[in-house]
Amino acid sequence: MNSKRILIFGLIFLMMTTTHVVASDLLSGIVKAQGLRKPDNILVYLTKTPDQITPPQEAFVLDQNNLTFLPHTLVIPMGSTVAFPNNDKVDHNVFSLSRTKKFNFGSYKPGVSHNVIFDKPGIVELRCDLHSEMISYILVMKNSYFALTDKKGNFSIDVKGLAQGKYTLKTWHEKLTNSKLALELPAAVSQKAIINLKRGAPGVLYK
Amino acid sequence: MRKTVFFATFVNFILIVAAFQLIMPITSWSSQKKNTSVIRGVVASQYGMVSDARVRIAGSKDFTLTDINGRYTLETPLFSSRAIKITAGKDGWFNNSVNALPGNQNANVMLFPIPEKDNPNYRFISPAVCARCHNTLAKYWDKSKMAHTTSNVKVINMFNGTDATGRELSGPGYKIDNPDKDGNCVSCHAPSAAVTKGGAKDIEQALWSPKTEWDGISCDYCHKIRKVTKTSDTPSLFKSHLRRQTPLTGNSILVFGPYDDVVNTVMSASFSPAFDKGSYCAACHSQIKKSDSKEPWNRKQVYTDEEWQGFDIGDDSVIPVQTTYQEWRSWQSNLPADDSNKGKRCQDCHMSWRKEMLPYDNYVIEGHARDMWGTKRDPQNIRPHHFDGGTEIQLKTALSMEIEGQINDNILDVNVFITNTNGGHWIPTGDPMRNVMLILSATDSHGKTLKKIKGEELPTWTGVGKIEEGNYAGLPGKMFSKVLKDKKGNINVPFWKATEVAADTRIRPKTTVKLKYQFKIENPDDEPAAEAKLIYRPFMKSLAKVKKWENNDILITQSAW
Ligand code: HEC
Ligand code: HEC
Ligand code: HEC
Ligand code: HEC
Ligand code: HEC
Repeated sequence: MNSKRILIFGLIFLMMTTTHVVASDLLSGIVKAQGLRKPDNILVYLTKTPDQITPPQEAFVLDQNNLTFLPHTLVIPMGSTVAFPNNDKVDHNVFSLSRTKKFNFGSYKPGVSHNVIFDKPGIVELRCDLHSEMISYILVMKNSYFALTDKKGNFSIDVKGLAQGKYTLKTWHEKLTNSKLALELPAAVSQKAIINLKRGAPGVLYK
Repeated sequence: MRKTVFFATFVNFILIVAAFQLIMPITSWSSQKKNTSVIRGVVASQYGMVSDARVRIAGSKDFTLTDINGRYTLETPLFSSRAIKITAGKDGWFNNSVNALPGNQNANVMLFPIPEKDNPNYRFISPAVCARCHNTLAKYWDKSKMAHTTSNVKVINMFNGTDATGRELSGPGYKIDNPDKDGNCVSCHAPSAAVTKGGAKDIEQALWSPKTEWDGISCDYCHKIRKVTKTSDTPSLFKSHLRRQTPLTGNSILVFGPYDDVVNTVMSASFSPAFDKGSYCAACHSQIKKSDSKEPWNRKQVYTDEEWQGFDIGDDSVIPVQTTYQEWRSWQSNLPADDSNKGKRCQDCHMSWRKEMLPYDNYVIEGHARDMWGTKRDPQNIRPHHFDGGTEIQLKTALSMEIEGQINDNILDVNVFITNTNGGHWIPTGDPMRNVMLILSATDSHGKTLKKIKGEELPTWTGVGKIEEGNYAGLPGKMFSKVLKDKKGNINVPFWKATEVAADTRIRPKTTVKLKYQFKIENPDDEPAAEAKLIYRPFMKSLAKVKKWENNDILITQSAW
């Protein structure tokens, strides 16, 4: 099923200019998503790279304000710490029952914050059972080769230092079917990945 | 007469307070810390001092309780010129207040008891009246299913055996099976009719009675409830005790509510601790049926001893129809005291803020009423009445699902994990007509369906026919529901016909159900995929069809591997 999707909607790697191939430190491209208002917040990431990553010392922040988790999708290196401040006017109860990371601090007041370390790769679905509209995702990555798309669907992944070879470029978004493409790096500066995605069941990050 | 009673009480009050002053002369202002002042006083009534009354500055979050002699001490930020309103409230008494002035000697509050008797001849006030001042609150209540349950076509259809077009003898109907009974549907679906002397006892009649009775579960009905207790003679095993009177003072409206600091000329408000409890909802969100057969049904096949005892609904002759309240209570009472989910009540999830209500408001009233009598409150202490339940907004995050696969030679193992993340009870809860279905499919890289070797599948009653039309019989998956069965062995019967619960596979709060499936892979080099959907269906397919009800399946979540 996956490969069929790739055939129709999958990745098309375009060679814009082929005359002077200059190897790039960036792997960039654009994602188009059928049936989404904006093609932003889509994770694009490489697999089959060495699984090696150093989490930053400072904590990431997943804010709670106006009955919303912000950002809606937070991508972090494995081992990172995330702070969950309540900057709203009412109590919130952020928790996860995902197998990647389970935690629950109970309801807590505006002004209070809690930290969690995410030590396993995968998807963490955040909820607040007092406010059913609140949902967000923390995507815990095995390596540092990933990016989120901007409002127009653009992304670029820093691939500096990655050995020449074959890799797989994948995507994840909670409303879109995943896609994957085998590619060879380094790519030329002029190369851009164009990814077409459609609505459907999202898959796992790492099979 | 009214005046003399009031006068006598007032004299009493003065005497009591005077006597009190002799024993404790230091009821005065004294500066404790630099920027705070301390207010002291007593709360008294015609019967003497009132202990355990809640005293606060109107609108503030913190309160203090009076001691056994009715005394209280409140620390407040220093205030110089304006008077502040000190309020007191206690279960069984109308809230009252006194203005404390800087430098005043004491701030004593007199409480008056709520009427002793209920009045079954009382005519409930229309929600339209409440909406004049409680505009926003009424708007969200009005959108809820509770607001219009008396005129809910589905309830009428199930009562008299009609379908949505009004055609008679279309599918099940309580009246078809029990022509001489009223079914007591009104006790939950038209409660104001049910409790009014001479009120309609049958849901169809309730619909034709004067407006205030068919106003569903109305503001005035809910706010005339003083307390809820256990009983054995209602279908829910709980009883709401009302105290209906037209107040003595002016045109004010008698209400019970969660606030102990509402004191104004339009409401005669009385604080009732019942409003903050899960049991408040129990008189309707619990429904049992006493079995008509002599033999007990085999409940051990469906519920563990622990679950059954947790329900606390009686012996095996009782058939649990709706156990939302019991599911919540046993979940809560089994949690250790320090559990993060301890203390979450129905109100926390079903009466909470929603995005479309933002920005946050600090008042529970609008317009003139706000200017005249409004109390500024923390949004945390305001309870929007949306009562979202089997709605998209509440269901989308009710469950979560994860899926994992593994290829072993020519076998694909698929595990599906389904978690009740947001429910404060089993899911689906409420009416046994509700279903949640897992639909799983595994395909090869060409999109061809793989054959299932192991794992459950969906029952025939999910519908035989085209998948696109919502027929899922025989597909790999799982049904989460409560199935009622009658004497003849028919399943999914309406509750009045049920003699047993045949199965109850609903998902317990905060727990994960793991389901295992195996599929056969024809080409061992192929890369198969699996996809799972979780769907909420409000009514069984066959019932919706015969009743001509629109039956909108709601996709809760989906996931692929
Ligand atoms: C199903 C019963 C029910 C109905 C119907 C209902 N209420 Fe309430 N109401 C409650 C409960 C329970 C609370 C307290 C919740 C808490 O504090 O946990 C409450 C609280 C309130 C409060 C206090 C302010 C607040 O936000 O907590 C007001 C005012 C109020 N209701 C007015 C109304 C009005 C007006 C209507 C009709 C439009 C209405 N209610 C309908 C049960 C009900
Ligand atoms: C004329 C305006 C007005 C109308 C009409 C009105 N209310 Fe109120 N109500 C108020 C005000 C003012 C408050 C106090 C608000 C505050 O202090 O925050 C209040 C408070 C309440 C409270 C909280 C009481 C407590 O102690 O918890 C409830 C419950 C309530 N109203 C229910 C109702 C119901 C039910 C109706 C219709 C039958 C109704 N109100 C009609 C003005 C009104
Ligand atoms: C007087 C009886 C009564 C009381 C008290 C009551 N309910 Fe209900 N409730 C009902 C009935 C009847 C329905 C079904 C309405 C319908 O679908 O026609 C219902 C439906 C609901 C729903 C489902 C709405 C949906 O969209 O599917 C929720 C949620 C709910 N009630 C919550 C509560 C909560 C929370 C309380 C306590 C604060 C409460 N109810 C108190 C009778 C009651
Ligand atoms: C922790 C949050 C939470 C608590 C506490 C909670 N609920 Fe719910 N409730 C939910 C969610 C989520 C759903 C949607 C899933 C479903 O329909 O079962 C729901 C659904 C419902 C429904 C609609 C069922 C349907 O499908 O028609 C009713 C009725 C209901 N709740 C009543 C109650 C009552 C009564 C209580 C307290 C005894 C309560 N709830 C406590 C979260 C909660
Ligand atoms: C003990 C209280 C109680 C009694 C008695 C009762 N019901 Fe209900 N009923 C409820 C509650 C609570 C719900 C909402 C549960 C939910 O949303 O899942 C409900 C839901 C329903 C629904 C589903 C409505 C919808 O739109 O989804 C129908 C139909 C219904 N009842 C019919 C009846 C009939 C007919 C009778 C009498 C023969 C009756 N009920 C007696 C409490 C009761």
